[in-house]
Amino acid sequence: MEYAIELKEISKSFGPVAANKNINLSLAKGEILALLGENGSGKTTLMNMLSGIYMPDSGSIFIDGKKVEINSPEDSGKLGIGMVHQHFKLVERFTALENIRIGMRGEGRFFHGAEVRKKIEETAAKFGFDIDLDKKVSNMAVSEKQTLEILKVLCYGARIIILDEPTAVLTVQEIEKLFNVLRKMKEEGHSIIIITHKLNEVMAISDRVAVLRHGDYIGTVVTKETDEKTLTELMVGRKITLNIDRPIIEKTHPLLEIRDLTIKNDEGATAIDHINFYIRGGEILGVAGIAGSGQKELCEAIAGLRKIEEGQMIHEGESIVGMSPKKILEHGVSMSFIPEDRLGMGLAPSLSITDNMILKNYNESKGLFVDRKSAREEAQKVIDKLEIITPSTETPVRRLSGGNVQKVLLGREIKSGPNVLITAYPVRGLDINSSYTIYNILNEEKKKGVGILFVGEDLDVMLSLCDKIMVICHGRLQGVVNSDHTTKEEIGLMMTGTLNIVNKDGKTDGIAKDSAFTDEEGKA
Amino acid sequence: MRRYHLVRRADAKLNRTLIYYAIGLLVSLTIGAILLWALGINPFQYYGKMLTIGLVGNKYGYKSIEGLLKVFVPLLITSLALSLSFKMRFWNIGGEGEFLIGAICASIVAFNSSGMPNFVTVVLMCLAAMISSGIIGVAIAALKVKFNTNETLMTLMLNYIMLYVIRYIGDTKADWNFFLREDSERPIFGSFPESAMMGGIPLGKFKLLWAVIIAVLLTAIVYIYLKYTKHGYEISVVGDSAATAKYAGMGVGKIVLRTMFISSALIGLAAALAVSSAGTISDTITNDVGWTGIIVAWLSKLSVPAVFVTAILISILQYGCQAAATQYPAIDVNFADLLQGIILFSVLVADFAANFRLIKKEDAKNA
Repeated sequence: MEYAIELKEISKSFGPVAANKNINLSLAKGEILALLGENGSGKTTLMNMLSGIYMPDSGSIFIDGKKVEINSPEDSGKLGIGMVHQHFKLVERFTALENIRIGMRGEGRFFHGAEVRKKIEETAAKFGFDIDLDKKVSNMAVSEKQTLEILKVLCYGARIIILDEPTAVLTVQEIEKLFNVLRKMKEEGHSIIIITHKLNEVMAISDRVAVLRHGDYIGTVVTKETDEKTLTELMVGRKITLNIDRPIIEKTHPLLEIRDLTIKNDEGATAIDHINFYIRGGEILGVAGIAGSGQKELCEAIAGLRKIEEGQMIHEGESIVGMSPKKILEHGVSMSFIPEDRLGMGLAPSLSITDNMILKNYNESKGLFVDRKSAREEAQKVIDKLEIITPSTETPVRRLSGGNVQKVLLGREIKSGPNVLITAYPVRGLDINSSYTIYNILNEEKKKGVGILFVGEDLDVMLSLCDKIMVICHGRLQGVVNSDHTTKEEIGLMMTGTLNIVNKDGKTDGIAKDSAFTDEEGKA
Repeated sequence: MRRYHLVRRADAKLNRTLIYYAIGLLVSLTIGAILLWALGINPFQYYGKMLTIGLVGNKYGYKSIEGLLKVFVPLLITSLALSLSFKMRFWNIGGEGEFLIGAICASIVAFNSSGMPNFVTVVLMCLAAMISSGIIGVAIAALKVKFNTNETLMTLMLNYIMLYVIRYIGDTKADWNFFLREDSERPIFGSFPESAMMGGIPLGKFKLLWAVIIAVLLTAIVYIYLKYTKHGYEISVVGDSAATAKYAGMGVGKIVLRTMFISSALIGLAAALAVSSAGTISDTITNDVGWTGIIVAWLSKLSVPAVFVTAILISILQYGCQAAATQYPAIDVNFADLLQGIILFSVLVADFAANFRLIKKEDAKNA
């Protein structure tokens, strides 16, 4: 059988880290292959070697049975490989048409408007894309940008298409749409590799699944002959259970109440638009929304890092509006925000675990000097308690693996004994085991009566972990639902703004009946 | 087909780094030797004179040590100061300009100090230099904090502004200009009065200037400051991730201003010590420490003890090159500069080679 792609004994190291070790992989023609693995298992590295971004240290690549050498993205394009990256590679100020046009080869140096447009329109029609070619990328929603990326590689004549975690930024409905396009591409004889770690998607779309673990190739299985549990075991390397606990705790009074809050983003556009909600002690309130719906701005505002335009934020009856981040922290509101690049905010990556432990309280010790002795003891305690894998307390945080980095961050936040914990994407990019450790940590805190705001991505996880879920779309509250009485589809519709249940059918409008607001404050 | 590519090395082994440095040094010395040989000079003799900085067979050998220390002190202090700001990822490349401001302000005190006690004058010179340089440093930092200007450009431009200011002072004969000699028709910088000269501890004929002792003490202070104090901790956090520092409740703007004040003021101090030791000012008084200091800080990977050692080695190289060059009529100080350039360049290449390696691509064995 002739394969579209065959990789033989591919290895690639970055310094001491072996990202790929003797990987063998094959992609049949007209097949959808899911590439499954935990974060850091080497999926993206492997695919970047196919798209010419990295070069393998050893091993060979065969395309259509011929041995090839891919030294640049251009080589890769010529071989008919197109990659849709996790982070889009589009020119924001250009229209869809211009974005496709700039990468076209063999069409001469100038823009032949009509011909090029016709060609693109034909391709779009063939695969059932719905796209406005004259729309600027800066005005596009995430799903439109992704459609454009896929159309782009198809227009460049790619027959092998690699998608790196394409569903991470999409809603349930958009994912279904994407899968329809992929199926159409398959019918047309294209071969597709899709990188993901969502098992339900793997089961829904792929023909075969190749599994990587810690840079090693584990094996390839036929999707029809396997199930989610087997795949998980292949991926993680041992048997695990897939249930998230949700202990029921008696809820106390509202700890943090947000009333009529409006926040602007860095560009000056409204990021959060007159939102009301509250968190009680002993509950986890989930925040669901498409990436970039104002989650980051909301967290920053509560932590005192961002100015608010309007509204009230009350913590245990006292306004925290206008307080410095330090003051808010002393008040008992603590935030752990895991940004996309994980280390961007919250940790100083080159500093040791010890130094990161004292980030928020280094100033409490007396005198000129930093008290590293007790810091080291605290670091050791957190390491023991959360089972952080590290050579020592003095290891720079950036040398730790993703899960351990997140444990350091959460460990520090919990250590200060907050009564409101704001956590954004705490399991972002973590493997299943580490994710469960984090869920357990959060549940432990909940049992202590801490109110937790959990900004998340995976709806399945949020439905299992959170008591209530607040859905926002473009900064507006779409409603707060009880996890036991809702469905993924309902939340999906709310996330896209199709459904708004605020003030409808007796549902909550985000204002607590036993509010700690005084009358005047409530009116303000 | 590209068969080779560069890969960052897994570990930074001190041994390997030193071996690469040695190779770099050897290569550059060989190139220098070829040049010397072409000029009809015995390279071995020349290098011998260079490494011994003109000490051997010289009955005024102590003068060489004094000369070397005059090169060493400003370089060490400037490198320490630059390390402070670099640690915060504030790219202060305005060492030259900050040095000149300090030198000018210290000279203003010096030229007007006749009759004042020596100790008071020197202390006043140091204060004047530190405050003036510090203010300029803070001003640039403030622009960065307030308007997010590019500090690299601002500090770079400062160098040229100050260079032309001192040239203007040096070229303009006028009644107000107390910098120049009164008894000369042509504009020449005057000498400081006795009261403004750096004193020291006499050890036989050799005089150990106070400046040297101050520099060594400063090294220890900066080391402790960066490593153990809260300020030092704040600098590393801000340098590592400004977003994290802000999140932790640190006043990032305040930290940047404070650190730039200290960094610039230290460079001002280096300038005051330099003019006081030299007993005069000139437009070449900086001896390029603002630039060389960047190399020292960088080669030392911003580690204070390494800065100390590197500053000694580079001073020996600088002073030795000059000392050797003066003894041959065929070459002059420019050759010394050329040789220095070749050596520094090779060391930087060696540093790169110690951190990266070239690897050959291999095919799969069974392919």
